[in-house]
This record gives sequence, C-alpha cells and structure tokens, in this order.
Amino acid sequence: MAGRVRDLALHLLDRQVLDTDGRAVGNVDDVELHVPEDGSPPYVVAILTGPQALGPRLGGLLGQWLVFLSNALARNQDEEPGRIGWELVTDLGSAVTVAKSRVELGVHANEDRAREYLVDRIPGARDAGS
Amino acid sequence: MKSLLKIFLGILTAIGGFVDIGDLVANAVIGARFGLALAWVVVLGVIGICLYADMSGRVAAVSGRGTFDLVRERLGPRMGLANLLASTFVTFLTLAAEIGGVALALELATSVSYLLFVPLVAFGVWIVVWRMPFERMEQAFGILGLCLLAFAVALWQLGPDWSQLLHQAVHPSVPDGEGHPTYVFYAISLFGAAMTPYEVFFFSSGAVEEGWSRKDLRTERLNVYIGFPLGGLLSLAIAGCAAVVLLPQGISVDHLDQVALPVVLSLGKVGFAFLIVGFVAATFGASLETALSTGYSIAQYLGWQWGKRTAPREAARFHAVVLVAIILGAMLILTTLDPVKVTEYSLVFSAVALPLTYFPILVVANDRDYMGESVNGRVVNALGTFYLVLLTVVAIVAVPLMIATKAGQ
Amino acid sequence: MRGADLLGLPVVGPGGEELGRVLDVRLVQDGPLLGAFATLRIEGFVVGHHRVASRLGYDRVDAQGPKPVWWAVRALARRNRYLRWEDASVTAGGVTSSRADLEPVPAIR
Repeated sequence: MAGRVRDLALHLLDRQVLDTDGRAVGNVDDVELHVPEDGSPPYVVAILTGPQALGPRLGGLLGQWLVFLSNALARNQDEEPGRIGWELVTDLGSAVTVAKSRVELGVHANEDRAREYLVDRIPGARDAGS
Repeated sequence: MKSLLKIFLGILTAIGGFVDIGDLVANAVIGARFGLALAWVVVLGVIGICLYADMSGRVAAVSGRGTFDLVRERLGPRMGLANLLASTFVTFLTLAAEIGGVALALELATSVSYLLFVPLVAFGVWIVVWRMPFERMEQAFGILGLCLLAFAVALWQLGPDWSQLLHQAVHPSVPDGEGHPTYVFYAISLFGAAMTPYEVFFFSSGAVEEGWSRKDLRTERLNVYIGFPLGGLLSLAIAGCAAVVLLPQGISVDHLDQVALPVVLSLGKVGFAFLIVGFVAATFGASLETALSTGYSIAQYLGWQWGKRTAPREAARFHAVVLVAIILGAMLILTTLDPVKVTEYSLVFSAVALPLTYFPILVVANDRDYMGESVNGRVVNALGTFYLVLLTVVAIVAVPLMIATKAGQ
Repeated sequence: MRGADLLGLPVVGPGGEELGRVLDVRLVQDGPLLGAFATLRIEGFVVGHHRVASRLGYDRVDAQGPKPVWWAVRALARRNRYLRWEDASVTAGGVTSSRADLEPVPAIR
C-alpha cells in the first residue's frame, strides 16, 4: 500500500467515486492539496466533485458556463464544490471507494433537488427498474 | 437448453432491433433512386457496427463500466466533453426522428394526422422507460420488430429478377441521371444509418444494465455477429422492395406511404398489418434506446448514478435528463418539421460525429488496466483503425457534400 | 490549492529557458496518515510539450494497441522529462526548475 505511485491526471482525476453501497457518488473532478509551511511536498487532503470543481478544469467560456448553470439551479451564487475528505477513502483501485453512503456525504445538491422536485413526485419512484 | 433459448432470443432481439427510422428511410429512399447500387455501403456499415459494438460490449462486460464513463477517464474531460456534445446532439436529433417515426406509422395505420399522436408517443416512451424492466423492454420491442420481415417476404413474393438485382449490387455504378456527388452523399447517409452513434452507447450501457460479465461474452458475440448482419439483410430487403417496385415507376420516397407500398402491393392487407406493427415496434424501440442513451451519456460523463437497474429516486438526475430529452424531442416534431427530413439530417450529422465517438472506444478497448487480457487482438485493431480512417474521411466530406448536392436533391 | 491548478503551468529552467508545461503530477502514497490511508504526496512533475500524449498515459505504461496510435504518442512523448519536487519552485504563474537538464520520466510498473 505505502509508496504506491499515482499520477494525478493519469490515475486520480476523472475517476469514479463510489460509496459504501457501490453507488456512484460522482467523479474526482479535482483534488484539494494542503501546502505545508515548511516547504515539504504538498499532499492531497480531499477529493472535490461537482460542476464547481469541473468547471475551472474545462477552462474558458465553457467552464464558466458550466459553473454558472449549476449555480443557477442552486439559486445561490458561489456554491462550494462537493468535498470528500481523504480520511473517508477506503480503496484506491480503478475507482475510488469512500466510507460513507451518498446521502451522508451530502455532495449532491443537484441530485437531491432533482429527486425532491421532480422524481419523487412521480408514482413508482421507489421501485427498482429491472 | 435454457442457454440456447437465451441465445436464440438474444439474436432475434438483435435482428428486430437493428432497423430504426433512419434505416427505413435511408434504404427506401436509396432503393427507389439507385436500386441496389449502394448495397455495398450497407455491408460496409454492418461490418463496422459489428466490430465496434462487440468492442464496446466487451469493454462493458469485462470492466463493468459504460463507454462514456471510460471515455472521460481515459481521454480527459475536454475530449470527453467534445465527444459528449457531439453524440448527445446527434442522439437527441435521432430521438426526435424516432418519435416522429412512431407517429408517422400510426398515421399510416389510422389516417389521423401524425401530429396528434406525438404527445401520446412521448408519454408512452417515457412511461416504458420509467416502469418496464430493461431486459423485457428490449426483448418485447426487438421481437415485435421482426414483423418487418414482411419486407423480405414481400420481396420474395414480388418475384424479381434476382440475377439483375445481384448484378446491381455487385457492380455498383451510378445510374443515368444521377451525379457522382449525389451518389456519394447517399452512400454517406446510408453509412450513418448503419453506424449511428447511439447504437454503441446503448449496447455498452445495456450490457451494464443487464449485469453482463466475462461469461456472457460468448452470447454477446453471437448476438452481434449473427444478429446484426441478419438485421443488415433486412435493411437490404427494404432497399430491394423499393428497387423492384418504386424505381421502375420513378416513384420517390418522401413519406412512409411509399416505403410501405411494395409490401401492400404484394402481400395486401395482411402484409400491411404486419408492417405497421413492425414500424411501430422498431421506431418505438429506437425511441426508448435514444432517450436512454441521452441519459446514459450525460450521466456517465458527469459521474451520476445512472440506469434503470436502481430505483428512479436513486438516479434522479438521470431520469430527469431522459424526461427532458423526450419532451424536447416531441416538441421538435410538433414544430411540424417533416420527420422524414429530420431523419435525413440526423443521418448526415451522425456521419460527422462518427470518428469522434468511435475513436475513444478503440482506445479503451486496448487498455490493459480495464480489460486485462481481453484487449483487442491484432486483427480487430487493424480493422478498427481502418474504419476509423474511413469514418474520418466520411466526416470531413459529409457536410460539404450535403451543401453541394442540396441534401441529395 | 487545487490539484488541477498545477496542470498546464509553464516550466522554465534556471536561466529562464522554456522547458515545457506540467503535463502531470507524480504522487506517492507515503504522506501523513489520514483515516485508513496514507495520503498522496507530490514527488515531482512530468514536464513536456504534448498534452494529448501524456493524457493517454502511453508514455508511462506498457505497450498497448492500436499500434499506430501508440507509435505516434510515443514519438510525441519522447521529449517528456521529470522534475523532482526538491528541484522545483512553484508559484501561481509557473514552475521554475533549479536544474537545466532533467531526467527522463521514470516508468510506473
């Protein structure tokens, strides 16, 4: 486990994040690095997920538009990106697995909104499809 | 015995599900103008889709992930986004065309204006996506789609000069009165119809929905390599009917009536009834697939929980996107844009989007991280690369040709 | 600081010469323990000129098909170099290397 090499763009970014139930939480849209004061190398302290994290990576007009769209749905500006602390990570394979369920993580403003305002109002929303 | 039945069912579903409004329109239009002189394009397209569908099915079975999931992981968010925008636009256009197709088929059956059927069709598509289990949905519409075999039966009944038809197919030439650019333009449309982007996304996401794993690979290959070519033969039967009945009379295809004419002439009311069932099943099935594909691609790119295998409230954004796509698609058809024209445009744009959507599949299918030992073999890679080059050429040439020939006037 | 902010930063040598851009950040899992796992600590930067080639990862892993793509990407990635954290100084505007010549990128696995 220790000493394993993981290149940021090649192995970490854009990977799927799964919760304890194996459900998709989101992607690793970016990571938060802590920069130590003594000049030793920075290290990853959190996974960032959501349009606020992805937007700046797409860059330019497209990225700004994505952030704007997501904020418009949120009806509040400057929403912070979804943050999953590194201490919650339980596995780092081809996907990143974290210890809590999606609901507990609370990184899903848009999913919760879609569920609350639309999906839950339609009968049959709780039945599995197949 | 049970697995044999499963394989048989899978192949039938693949045949019946192969043809959609794009194939119906393209093959009929071309059969009525060029006879079977473009049959080689269907063959080329079927080989291409078999190759790439097998690749994306294998990727899904081995890695448990859908294509778009892996496209963004492998190629980065920018390339993934370009891929997403191109394919979603084309798939949405195809969705609108398919909804229009169902409505047109119902109009053909009842003589009630197709516009009145559109909201009904949209609601029908949505409710099936919402409620019907995935595998049953695929099988039901796939097998009902086999009613389109009426075209094959009709062609047989018409007693055409088979040697002449074969000669046309094997010696492709531009008929008198048609220019070379028009010929190539129609070849591209036919190619776009055979290799429409949503087919691979749906196939790979569907594999994940049905929980395929390595042990399903043999079934998957049989479905693809037997089912799809037979579906291609059905496409050729549609072209053949048009070639035999419409071409000599100089009847061009602008509407579903003309597509049905050869079957009505040779098989009467019974044939017509089968045809209507087949039309509706094929286009309704394709509406389901394109609506779901729109949801699959967006959800997989953005990392949302997706699919029908979890309850809708567990995949709320996915279902919201599918619902919006259906509504917007229906609205597009309600603007009274001719659905046949929408279909023809969707084919050209499909052709343009093809290299962008197929290149990532080739890359991912070669990645040992996801595929382990099941990476592409040398032959598959050689063929896959050849097709990619071909698709790039087609994509570059498609729009200029469309403008130059005024969309094949 | 966000990880993605580092990607694409211009890299210059001690004399100001252009060395390329940050194509990737090498992380090693031997940082402080947070929860069950040691965190990923920056070890160095992959520096080069062609982002696409690096993105596909062909420059750092075993051969994979299709062959023409692999050859093309390897050719583009041939000039990629590795800059260790100790030799680098990072600001918001770019990265400065204290060494003019950098080592080739160490392969993974």
